[in-house]
Amino acid sequence: MITRGIVTDLNDIATRVSHTQQKLASGKELTRPSDDPFATGRAIGLRTELAGLEQYQRNVDDAEAWTSVTENKLSTMTDIVHSARELLVRGSTGTTSVGDRKIIADEIDGLIAAAKDTANATYAGRSLFAGTATATKPYGAASDAYLGDAGDVVRSIGPGVSVIVNARGSDMLGNGADGKLLNTLRDISAHLRGGSAADIAALGGSDLVGMDRSLDNVLNVRAQVGSTASRLEAANNRLAEIEEGVRGLLSKVEDADMAATMIEYSMQQSVYQSALRAGAGIVQASLLDFLR
Amino acid sequence: MSISTFMGLQTSLRGLVAQQRALDATSHNISNASTTGYSRQEAQMQATDALLDRPAGMLGTGVDVVGYARIRDSFLDLQYRAQSMQLGYGTTRTDSLEQVELRLAEPGDNGIAARLNSFWSSWSDLANAPESGAARGALIADARTLASSINALDDGFETVSAQAAQQLSLLTATGGELQGIAREFAGLNGAIRDAQHVGAQPNDLMDRRDMLLDKLSSLAQVTVADDGAGSISVTLGGAAAPLIDGSTVNWPAPAMPNPGGKIGALMDAASPTGTIATYRSELGAFAQSLTTKVNAIYNPAAGTNFFAYDAATATLSLDPGVTPATVRAGAGAPGDNSAALALSELSNEPGGVNDSYAQLVTRIGTEVADAKRTATNANALSNSIEDRRQSTAGVSLDEEMTNLIRFQRGYQAAARAMTTTDSMLDTLINRTGRVGL
Repeated sequence: MITRGIVTDLNDIATRVSHTQQKLASGKELTRPSDDPFATGRAIGLRTELAGLEQYQRNVDDAEAWTSVTENKLSTMTDIVHSARELLVRGSTGTTSVGDRKIIADEIDGLIAAAKDTANATYAGRSLFAGTATATKPYGAASDAYLGDAGDVVRSIGPGVSVIVNARGSDMLGNGADGKLLNTLRDISAHLRGGSAADIAALGGSDLVGMDRSLDNVLNVRAQVGSTASRLEAANNRLAEIEEGVRGLLSKVEDADMAATMIEYSMQQSVYQSALRAGAGIVQASLLDFLR
Repeated sequence: MSISTFMGLQTSLRGLVAQQRALDATSHNISNASTTGYSRQEAQMQATDALLDRPAGMLGTGVDVVGYARIRDSFLDLQYRAQSMQLGYGTTRTDSLEQVELRLAEPGDNGIAARLNSFWSSWSDLANAPESGAARGALIADARTLASSINALDDGFETVSAQAAQQLSLLTATGGELQGIAREFAGLNGAIRDAQHVGAQPNDLMDRRDMLLDKLSSLAQVTVADDGAGSISVTLGGAAAPLIDGSTVNWPAPAMPNPGGKIGALMDAASPTGTIATYRSELGAFAQSLTTKVNAIYNPAAGTNFFAYDAATATLSLDPGVTPATVRAGAGAPGDNSAALALSELSNEPGGVNDSYAQLVTRIGTEVADAKRTATNANALSNSIEDRRQSTAGVSLDEEMTNLIRFQRGYQAAARAMTTTDSMLDTLINRTGRVGL
């Protein structure tokens, strides 16, 4: 009976030692759901959250790349508009000769092509300014019609939070005769070439107004993209912070406290050894030892 | 009536014989010190009938062994068997549920939760690059992995269930362990009844029968009825008819409505309505809701379903129309990612598919922990009852050695009494009446 008791107790201690050893080897407090079902459910939830956060950071990185290329192109576009305005101012003065006006008109035509080229810019093979019609170049050489669509390029940067990262070419360059940049530049080019008194008057009047409006359009779009960029940067920092927090929580739930486990392990070992020694002592003693 | 001169010799002889029997019983105990199921035996001594010695009174005539008692507490047996059933149930249930739990591989990087997360991430990656062939390829690969790991988990559950069914049939089939025990039990019933019929007490047969009853009790819930003539009839698992009735075995075993024990745990694991079956149906519901939710968003955008779930075979697969070339992130232009965005948001849906999977894992974990606890408790209780049982029925070598000395000395003393009578008779027979010879 004593022997059975000793064997049961030793097995019991050995099981506990092996469980602690498992914890030390894996570094995990939870090795299977039954260790702590509630904590396991929580760990699964935290892991999902963590995977989501990592994904959102990737999304933000992609969105930042998109906006930074867009910003770059918009700055080129602003330069083009500024140059066009300077040319317009030069061409609108009465002292400019007919020949000079023609040269300026040619330059304006060049700027129209440059503006279209800039609007046709791509990022990783996708048109930046064509809405969601990313496979299409927004402007063709022949016409000033906008070939993209009105779609938004959306990136998800948090649970239920998404941002629009694209700028549409139609908002700046316009779509045919709608008074936007391309239309204005075409008018200017025509007025410069026309050279009548009415044309000259239009250059200094409606064209200049149109030019300023176009510049405003471009600057508005730039401001929008800029604010998106700063929003993305803030999101990136926030996501990194949350990720750190969730990682800490997950580690608290899943990982073994090494110091405590180590102490537990050495305690169990010494208990096991003393149980073995005590067992050996008890099992040996018998009345038989004392009888002749 | 006068008393015989030689009576003292008879009295001593009885003493010698009785002490010898007691020594025999002691050495039988010592020999069986490590025999499983053995109960300690004791030679029961009783003073023989006295002689009337008028006018003095009654003169004792010595001792006789009237029987060999089996020292056992039947109340402890009952308690032991109740715990043994719990232990059989608990350990068997823990064994099969732990296998289920191992197949989940949670929490970790190889479970379905991780696959599900990378599936949602793939949708998000596709949303970032709706035109990219690489993102589509990765999505399809992740979706296939997710589907196959859900299918593999279901197969794993099915395997555990099938293993339990196999174990159950090994145990309860004709020629299996249960029938073997029942046959031996019935045979012992017959032998014990026959022995008792002629007035013998077959202690060792009864020990063997009690041990079989212990074994039966770990297999299923046992109800016993003693017919008073040496036979015990045994009913298993609350069946309508007894399995063992006297020296006959009712085979095939009567249906057990409430089996308990190892058989109960195996029946539950193997049953199409048992615990593992409910895990399978919960996993099926999870796969079904994944399919429904993904298709509800994907179908309007792409015109085909994304997943196809076959409830009959519990198989999740990709719709045949979904290939890296055809998978779409949105309904509109190449850059439209609205569907992919909405799909990636499913990972955050409260009470959504992620939650229902986590609930399944938590439920399995809780039930495994429960089963473990039951097994541990039953183990501790049956150990302590076994200890108490052993303290009554078990052989203590110290006690037997003491008895050995006691009976040896008793034998020596009886022999001395005989020698004393002998020398008294010597005086009477050989030295009396020889005056003057």
